[in-house]
This record gives sequence, C-alpha cells and structure tokens, in this order.
Amino acid sequence: MDKGGSRPNWDSPMQFVLACVSYAVGLGNVWRFPYLCQMHGGGGFMIPYLFMLLVEGVPLFCLELAIGQKMRLGSIGAWTAISPYLGGVGLASVMASLYLCLYYNIINGWSFWYLFHSFQSELPWAECPLNANLTGPLEECEKATATQYFFYRETLNISSSIEENGGVHTGQALCLLLAWIVTYLFIVRGVKSTGKVVYFTATFPYVVLIIYLIRGVTLHGAINGVKYMFTPKMEQLANPTTWINAATQIFFSLGLGFGSLIAFASYNEYNNNFERQAVIVSFINSGTSIFASIVTFAIYGFKATVNYENCLERVRLLLLNAFNLAEDTINMDNIFEWMERLNQTHPQQFAELDLGNCDLTQELDKAVEGPGLAFIVYSEAIKNMPLSQLWSVLYFFMLLLLGMGSMLGNITAITTPLRDFKIFSSVSVEVLNGLVCLFCMLLGLGFTTTSGNYWFTMFNDYGATFSLLFVVLIEVITVSYIYGIKRFEKDIEDMIGHRPNWYWKIMWAGISPILLIALFIFYIANYIMGGTPTYMAWNKDLGTSEVTPYPVFGQVFIVLLLASSVSCVPLTALYAYCRKRKRSHHKRQPTVSTLSA
Amino acid sequence: MLEKVLFLLCLTPALAQEPCFPGSSHAYKVRISIKTALGNQAYVWNDNEMYLFRAAMAFALRSYHNGQEFNVSNIMVCNETPRVSFWFVVSSPENSSVLLKKGDVENAIRKSRNRINGAFLLTDQTLEFIDIPPTLAAPVMPVTPPWLIVFGVVMGAVGAGIIFLLVSSLVQSKRKKNKKTLDEDREDMRGIENGLGCDNLGGVYNTTFSDGDKFTPM
Repeated sequence: MDKGGSRPNWDSPMQFVLACVSYAVGLGNVWRFPYLCQMHGGGGFMIPYLFMLLVEGVPLFCLELAIGQKMRLGSIGAWTAISPYLGGVGLASVMASLYLCLYYNIINGWSFWYLFHSFQSELPWAECPLNANLTGPLEECEKATATQYFFYRETLNISSSIEENGGVHTGQALCLLLAWIVTYLFIVRGVKSTGKVVYFTATFPYVVLIIYLIRGVTLHGAINGVKYMFTPKMEQLANPTTWINAATQIFFSLGLGFGSLIAFASYNEYNNNFERQAVIVSFINSGTSIFASIVTFAIYGFKATVNYENCLERVRLLLLNAFNLAEDTINMDNIFEWMERLNQTHPQQFAELDLGNCDLTQELDKAVEGPGLAFIVYSEAIKNMPLSQLWSVLYFFMLLLLGMGSMLGNITAITTPLRDFKIFSSVSVEVLNGLVCLFCMLLGLGFTTTSGNYWFTMFNDYGATFSLLFVVLIEVITVSYIYGIKRFEKDIEDMIGHRPNWYWKIMWAGISPILLIALFIFYIANYIMGGTPTYMAWNKDLGTSEVTPYPVFGQVFIVLLLASSVSCVPLTALYAYCRKRKRSHHKRQPTVSTLSA
Repeated sequence: MLEKVLFLLCLTPALAQEPCFPGSSHAYKVRISIKTALGNQAYVWNDNEMYLFRAAMAFALRSYHNGQEFNVSNIMVCNETPRVSFWFVVSSPENSSVLLKKGDVENAIRKSRNRINGAFLLTDQTLEFIDIPPTLAAPVMPVTPPWLIVFGVVMGAVGAGIIFLLVSSLVQSKRKKNKKTLDEDREDMRGIENGLGCDNLGGVYNTTFSDGDKFTPM
C-alpha cells in the first residue's frame, strides 16, 4: 500500500467532510423522512431513528471510510485487496451505483424544468390551462389539481401504463442533458473539481432551509402542521414496522454500500481522523432530516389550512346560492351554525346539495412521500405564498443542489474503481469521466419517454435497495470475521493513532450484522408475501393515480435488476477461485523444467 | 260578447306580467356578488342599481341588434332575492308581448360583457349570468417559451465553464510536458557552465579526487 504516490488528494480534510455531507444530505432527507415521521407517530419517531443511527448508521459509515482510507482504492480494488474472492462486493456496489446514476439525474432534470418555469409572471402550475373552446379549464386538469396536471401531463406527458410507450419528451431530454453537463462540470477533474464544488453544494441548501423555516413558520396555519406532526403518538413504537423503517431510512439516507464513501475516503491522507468525521457527518445528516421535516410540516400545515379554508368557502358559496341568502349573512365564524340551521329548516334541499366534507385533520393526514411531495405538494403550497416566483426559484434551486451533491458521490463511486484498472489509468481523467457521463446520459434518455416515469419508479424501488442491504451485510461480516477485527483494529491504529474503543467493536462484530440480517429477512419476506409487485399508474380520465400490477416483462426486469447486482458476489468469487486453480496448475509445471536444466 | 272582451282585457295585462318567472324558457338568472368583489368599498344594491342593470341590458341589446331601439321598459325583472339574484326577460321593442329568444339575448350579453361588468365594477365571476359561460381570456403565448430562454442562458454558461476547464487542463499538461523536457535538458547542461563545457576549458582532469572505487579500500 503506497502511502504517497500519484493518487490525487482532497485539498483539506474539510473538503472531504463537506463532500460526505453533500453526498449524504440529499433528496431523501426532504421527501422521505418527513413522511416516515408522520406515519410513525410524529415526535415519537425520533426514538427509533436516533437508536438506529447509533447502532447502525455511525458504525457502518465509519467502517466504509476506514476501508477506503486504508486501501486507497475504489470499491472493487479495496475489496479485492481485503480478500481476492470478495472483489464481487465492490462490483455489486458499482452496479448499484450505475443503476442509481441512470435514474437519479432525471430528478435533477425535473428540478431544472421547474426552476426554469419559475421565471414567469404567473407560475404555470398555479392555474389550469383553458380548453379549446376557452370556456373553462381542461377536463383532465379539473379532475385532478393544477399542480398534479402540470407534473403528470406537462412535465412528464405520462402514458397510462408501463406498456404504452410514446416518444421522448423534448423538454425533459434537454433538462436531462443539462443535468449531465453540470454533473460533468463538477467532476471533470475528479477530486480536484469535486473538492471545490462541495463548498457550495453542501452549504447553500442550509441557507435555503433556514430561509424557508423562517418563511414557513410565519405562514398562516403553519403551526397546525407542526403541532399535529410533532405530537408524539407513542403507541406507534410498539409497531415493528416503525423500527424497520427507521433502520432502512438511516441505511439509505447515509448512502452506505454504493462505494461512494470508499471512493471519497480513498483520496484522503493516510492519517486523516475519519472516526471523528464519521460521527460528525452522520449526525449532520440526521440533524438535517429533522430540520427539513420541521420545514415540511410547517408547509403541510399551511397547505392543509389553505385547502380547508377553500373548502369552507366553497360550502359557504353553495349555501348562499342555493338558499338565496344575502352575502354577508354567512361567514367563517357562523358557517357551521348556519349549516345546522339550514339542515333543520330545509332538510330535503340541504341533502341535495353536494357539500363534501371539510376536515382540517383529514387534510393534514394526507401523507405524501417521494417526488410527489417535492414536486406536487410543495409547489402547491408555494403557489399560495405571496411572491411565489421567488420562493419557487429558491426551493427548486435547493432541490437541485441536494440532488447534484448526491450525484457527485454516485458518479465518483463508478469512476474511482474504473481508474484503478490498468486499462483505464492511461486515459486522462477528463476523458474517462466524460465517457461515463455520456454513457449514463444516453441510457437515461429512456426515462424521458412517456412511460419513463414508471421505469423510473421501478428502478427507484428495486434497483438499489435490496442489493445494497446484501452488499453491506457481506461487507460488515467480511471485515469483522474474514479479515478479522484484530487486523482491522491494527489498521485503524496505524492510520489514526489509537485503537477503536469497545463501542465500535461491539457494533461491527455483533449488533450491526444482526440488525442487517433482520432487515434482509424482512425485505425478502415482504417481497415474497407482497404478491405481484405493483406501481401507481396515472389515469387521465379520472385524474388520479391507480394501483396497477406490473406486466410480465416488468416483473422479469425487476428480477434482473436484483439478480444482476447480487449475483456479482458469487460469480466473482467463482471466477477468482477458477483463476487461482489455473495458476496453481501452471506453477507446478515449471519446477520440472528447472530441475532438468 | 262583452264578457269575452272583458275576459280578454283582463287576460292581456296578466299575460303581460306572466313572462318573467324563474325557469322560463326565455328568462336568465343573474347572480351578483358585490361584497366578494369589492369588500369594504361595496355599494348597496337598491332600485337605482337595478335601473342601471336594465339600462345596461338595453344597451347591450341595442349594440347587438343594430337598429332595434330597446328601452328600459323592455327588460323585465322578477324574483329578486337578498342574495342579490334575480331573473329577467327581454321583450321585443316592436311588440312588447313577444319575448326574445334565449340565443339572441345570450349573444348580445356575450358581446358587451366587459361593458356590463365595467358598469358595476364587477367581473365575470361576481356578475354571473347562469348558463352563459364567460369567454375566458386566451392565454398569451410568447413566441419562445420563457423557460427555454433561461435554459439557454444556463446551458451556455455551463458549456463555457466546461470548455474553459478542458482547455486550461490541456494547457497545463502541455506546460508540464515542456517543464519535463526542460528539466531533462538542464541535467545534460550541468557540465556546461556559462555555456562552456568542462571539456572545452582546456584543463586536465585530476583523477585524485575522482570517486572511483577501483582501488581496494583500506
């Protein structure tokens, strides 16, 4: 292991920390954690979350950093160095990173699309476009909401199922192209460019979050959201799903198993104190999740209050028009009294009215996660804010930075192991990075077709979830038992000057593997018992999404996705075994000839 | 005979009052929401405002049917409610017992909608003619969609950034190559100080201080 050499380095440890923060703090902190918090008992969710952070997140994060810093190679090289039979673990990481790179930049493309569309006097998702006769809004838009219409029809031009395909959406393709060009700009010189970019991508999202926090809590009705979400419902702690979801959220939020952390750490100085940095980054990541969820709940509260008040206003108008009462007789304070009174005096007429149900709690209960939260719910809230263009620009720029920051890690996880191979080391950094970006972009264009969003969901759900659990499980078992905890301890002492204390050793050797095995079994059980995998297809006649089962080719593709990364481990082990046998075969023959000479 | 004449005489004024009733095939319902539109500056709806409405209707019909002189008396209103909603029918100026068809009235209103709205400081949503959908303003579509402009700017900036970085790294690598060849030349030049080679100085090479280890060390 050469300590000096011509391997590029981070300019300072701060760059490395910021790179890890930029990678770990991503879109999941904004759109997955608030949903989980809401589903699993609000403030009470902090308990399993912090527990899993200490038991699973910090130890595994530190483990990957240690491996990368010690081996000074990308994931494939590092695992091959640990054990020649386990190079497949690195290869599986690279496969998972590749799948992630293919579809992750689509989200950045959407962020660009929304960002560019914010520079208009009237936000395009604020109102429904008119139909051909100019008599009213478009039918599809009326059935759904204007923001949903803008996302599904104008942004994606989505087809009604994964089987139907159309052409490429030009606007999407252009935005994807721009996203890849910006990614290339950020990584063009490898660590030297990435190191400078992360100063901005890691810090600016916090500026926006603080601004949004101030704006959010001053919005009308925001306090309803914050109060509702943070009221702990302790009974949820008895539900095992809560703990499992906390574990998976910590796991995926920190970006373990992709090889990005190994890649980043491989550019460190040999004596960098990664132990402390691992703790810092993990806590920053979780802290950001909690911070972002406060903002999200404030926005939820605002949106729910606005919707509730619009609902009441609609009911008020209906009552006024149906019973021909003067305009100022019914207002927000006495509307419920009036409803009762009218129900008593004119029961038949009242029953004929289609009043619907205006319920604030029901509005707050609407839990959304994923791109739907980021692009539909948030944009709906933003359009109701005063100066909505400014808030829209700020918000989508923040989403863009979060996504780009994570993208840096994803791409580095592919280019670093590639550079370790002798074939590619002669190619210059710029050319290699450019080729990887070009390849991913061309394949990613498939996600910009009309059925592309369904493929995107498939990749998002299956491409890098199960395989990562497998990879990290093998990683922690390898380091603890095959490589040996004692040897690992010595390596760490060599690097940072002191041995890891009992906390680290217990986690690495005992608790984390058990936890990962439990998660693994849970995932398999869920997959088997879940029946046919399904997805949400957009029905343009009804204006909503419906649960649809995947067709046969879709299910086959899911199996391929899972198998292609998982199978790398046994196949590479087999390959290494065969090569070793051949070598030992060849070694036996020359001994005969030297004796004869 | 006299009874028949009396009956007809009584019937005609009754018929004349009959035409305006809710649900009539010639009548339109109007709903006005002044407080929603104007808030604090809302005016009170009274008979004068109603007169203005009838006059506005007459104006609309006059401008649609060129030549026919509609009067306020041709616009009949009934069923006024505190909501401020009422029904109205229009009778022809030539024969006050003949009511205008709904289609004609609708077209007339549609043509002068803005003027009618303006007279009352209201909008299409606050001065509603039930069953006459407002012709919504056609959206203004600029020639280049605005997002493309911003896209072009950002793309240009990023593209320029990449080209700059690539060119500067090419220049750097060329400089490094030149520096390498320079260093190699300098190694050759070590024996040539001031441009003169040691051999050219005309001296004799003193072997005493050469560090040849041909001799066995003591």
